[in-house]
Amino acid sequence: MNEGEQTGLATMRDCWITGGATFDLAPTAWKAIAGGASPDEQERRLLAIAAQALDVALRPAAPKTLKRRPPLPRLALPMLPERLRPLLRTALKHAVDARRKTRVATLVASRGFVLHPMDWMPAASDQSSPDVYAPWIDWQASVDGERHAPQEKLTAENWDEFYPAARRIALADMRRTEPASARMLIEAKASGEPAEVRLALIELMRFGLSTEDAPFLKSLATDRSGKVQDLADRLLARLGEHGHSSEGGADDPAVELAAFISEGKSGFIRRRSIYTPAKLKSPAQEKRRAELFETCNLVDLAARFGASEPQFIGAWQFGADNDADILIARMVAASGSDAAVTNMADALVADGGKPALLVLHLMPRLDSRRKRVLIRLILKDSKYLGALNLAEGIEASWLEWGDLTNGQTLLALRSAVAGNDDAAKRGVDEMLETMGFLATAATAEKLIEDIIAAGMPPAAPSLGFLRLNASLAGPGTNT
Amino acid sequence: MEFDLKTIEALAPDQASLSAASKLTKLSNWPRLEKNEQQALIWGECQGSGSNPYRVVVDTGDHGYKCTCPSRKFPCKHTLALMWIAATAPASFTSAESTPEWVNDWLGRRRKATPPPAQSTPGAAAKSIDDAARPDESAAIEDVATMERREAAQRKRAEDTRQAVSAALDELDQWIADQLRLGLAGFVDASSDRCRRIAARLVDMKATALAGRIDEIPSRLMALRSEERPDAAIRELGKLVLLAKAWRSAPDDPELKRLVSTSETREQVLANPDARQVESFWEVLGEKIESRRDGLVSHSTWLLDLKCATPQFAVLLDYFPASAGRRSNAFAPGDRFDARLVFYPSRKPLRALVAERMGEVMPGAWPDFTFGAAKDPLATHASHEDAAPWTTDCPLMLPPGAILVDDRGTGWWQARDDPQGIALPIAGAVNQTLLGLDLAATAALWDGARLDLLAAQSEFGRLDLS
Repeated sequence: MNEGEQTGLATMRDCWITGGATFDLAPTAWKAIAGGASPDEQERRLLAIAAQALDVALRPAAPKTLKRRPPLPRLALPMLPERLRPLLRTALKHAVDARRKTRVATLVASRGFVLHPMDWMPAASDQSSPDVYAPWIDWQASVDGERHAPQEKLTAENWDEFYPAARRIALADMRRTEPASARMLIEAKASGEPAEVRLALIELMRFGLSTEDAPFLKSLATDRSGKVQDLADRLLARLGEHGHSSEGGADDPAVELAAFISEGKSGFIRRRSIYTPAKLKSPAQEKRRAELFETCNLVDLAARFGASEPQFIGAWQFGADNDADILIARMVAASGSDAAVTNMADALVADGGKPALLVLHLMPRLDSRRKRVLIRLILKDSKYLGALNLAEGIEASWLEWGDLTNGQTLLALRSAVAGNDDAAKRGVDEMLETMGFLATAATAEKLIEDIIAAGMPPAAPSLGFLRLNASLAGPGTNT
Repeated sequence: MEFDLKTIEALAPDQASLSAASKLTKLSNWPRLEKNEQQALIWGECQGSGSNPYRVVVDTGDHGYKCTCPSRKFPCKHTLALMWIAATAPASFTSAESTPEWVNDWLGRRRKATPPPAQSTPGAAAKSIDDAARPDESAAIEDVATMERREAAQRKRAEDTRQAVSAALDELDQWIADQLRLGLAGFVDASSDRCRRIAARLVDMKATALAGRIDEIPSRLMALRSEERPDAAIRELGKLVLLAKAWRSAPDDPELKRLVSTSETREQVLANPDARQVESFWEVLGEKIESRRDGLVSHSTWLLDLKCATPQFAVLLDYFPASAGRRSNAFAPGDRFDARLVFYPSRKPLRALVAERMGEVMPGAWPDFTFGAAKDPLATHASHEDAAPWTTDCPLMLPPGAILVDDRGTGWWQARDDPQGIALPIAGAVNQTLLGLDLAATAALWDGARLDLLAAQSEFGRLDLS
């Protein structure tokens, strides 16, 4: 189309928009084709020519501001084989929320593969997906994305060249191997970061936390962010240091919280202290007690009663008030020393029963062995199988067939599958999803056979995660 | 397999269903018949009247069933025919170790229930499988005079239709001239009512296909930004003018007849010696399912010829009533199969039927297409428009490129080696992950204003984009 035709088309277009005859405005060549007919027919002919011109001769005008995202980085693990993607999609479809989808990604990563980016992508704010996805999290977070995460060790000099997720993972690793170097790096760089990033950096101090970290954490008492101050206070409490608010005065929250707890004595020969939650009279009191448990540190509360943390936890009467038990479990998880956490977990697991479920609140601070012991206990007991879905920070792919047969779990699953109780069947679906995450490939395969034999349709979507698990068994997966 | 003819007779909703099923028991109608005795399942694919085969699965244990056809009779004739074959010729079923994905999908969604009593349908007693199997006596041999009378009546009906369509196009011409006189700004704003009115007139005058197309103009316009709509209106109305003119000059042209009044039947296309046939490996690029204003749902399945060095496409197009509910799809994006397709005759043949399925094909990359030195990614579209200027959607295979975004968040495809060159806007929201992928080749539909992405090849393998 020449320039005259383009100008003519623009004029005709304007005329048609408002309405009217365009024959006189048309380019000469077009007039020659359209002429010699009634005025209506002339307009229609011109319309047909204009339509063709717009379709064939013109191209969309792209804005000058088109932006390209940096290429999505390749990850360190190979992509899940194509033939397993339908199974993966079934498992992802059945996983209803982001947490469950992340579990699918975690299981697959534990078997040495990553997911296709069009099947699943971690969110920019994701902190629970496997470390191998850090480049994608940073890619998601970066808008302009000029930087690339370098492969070398993180230092104060190359700090800005790391994206946040890669930096977080590098610092967490460093805290495990060289905690002092990591602390000095955080000390040097955190103050220049915004409060949200600073909080995430200080949070990494929980890895390899030791008394050497105390001076730095104490210096954060004057941080300009209240959240950072509170976090530092909690971390200090884990080291047995009393927080800045524990002066013991009437307005000390630990004193107020202590008033919600009754101290008594137990035993005939060796009298020992016991601590029982006081009976509350109103919802307002319940609310206040919950607030206090959230803000106080275990070390300060125990000190109110002249006890050490393990002594206080050992004397707490679990089972007397379920709400108070949950609150103290959360308090121990947040501010208890490592010794208090392990004492509480070991004691509750040893006693078993419903109070053992409180250990679920301590999961983020427990070592892998203790986590597995708790899961095995829940499976053996089989009364509170639903609680497994609340467990966080568990490793994937370790549960053996013996762990399922060593108790009532398998029988309970079989009977729920064979029965007609819809609620029980939904419970089975959730349980099978959790098993899909925890089980080894061999266990997954046996469990599928067992559940199908009990009456579940072979293609039930709730078996999807287990099927993916079973198909990711060792050699041959890669073919 | 536990079927006897009495069970089938009892399950059938009426005698007509049984009679229709008996005609489908010929094995040539069933390119695929499989069973899994462990799971008590039989399934098959029946070539019905649509472009896609219907997929039927029956649980031989509790007589549960599923068919992808839009019939509102339960069980439909395809299900009854599958049961019938199972009862009379069980050896026709090949044993399969695993069940296909679509069978698994059905199994996953169904909840087993106690089978209902099998004779509750009113009039069940009147059904007879023997009657159904008997040849249709009403189809007695016609004498020559009757045949001539019938043909004469057909010719008259065709002539009447032609005259009605011709009058419809005259009315359409007048309507287009009116829109130009009143102004396209007003047309865009009131397109819904105005198009509905003329579409209703065209249906009355037997220009049914054209009416359906005009009914969709408003939604096509509204999918664009307001400043783009007048140009889109010019394109839409201009194409109608061209189509009307083309029909007037060749009213018997099969392509134009299909676009203006009615389409040929499947049998007519298969019997047409001029219809192009291609036997090849095909990959399902993607599907487009659109609810139309006339109450139909159009379901197009786009295919890519994997044996051809230059990109060749086909589309399997089916319509079914929206009231029939959601249909299971016959194919999933990424499926590959060996088949002979028969194309509906046209200037640029695209619409096709699966005449014969030969089996599945292993997954893999697309052929290494040579995109040539042409810098214009719309060259194929321009050539389509030259041959058939009334075409609305044209399939394209775009060269290596990437997806970019503008300030408004609209996605644009642009060639990798031509960052300052042509960029094509993408319809709908773009998956953000796509913005970080290098696309080695992208299959898409271009409608003159937007790219509708179907699938792509990338360093991460095949991407489903439909």
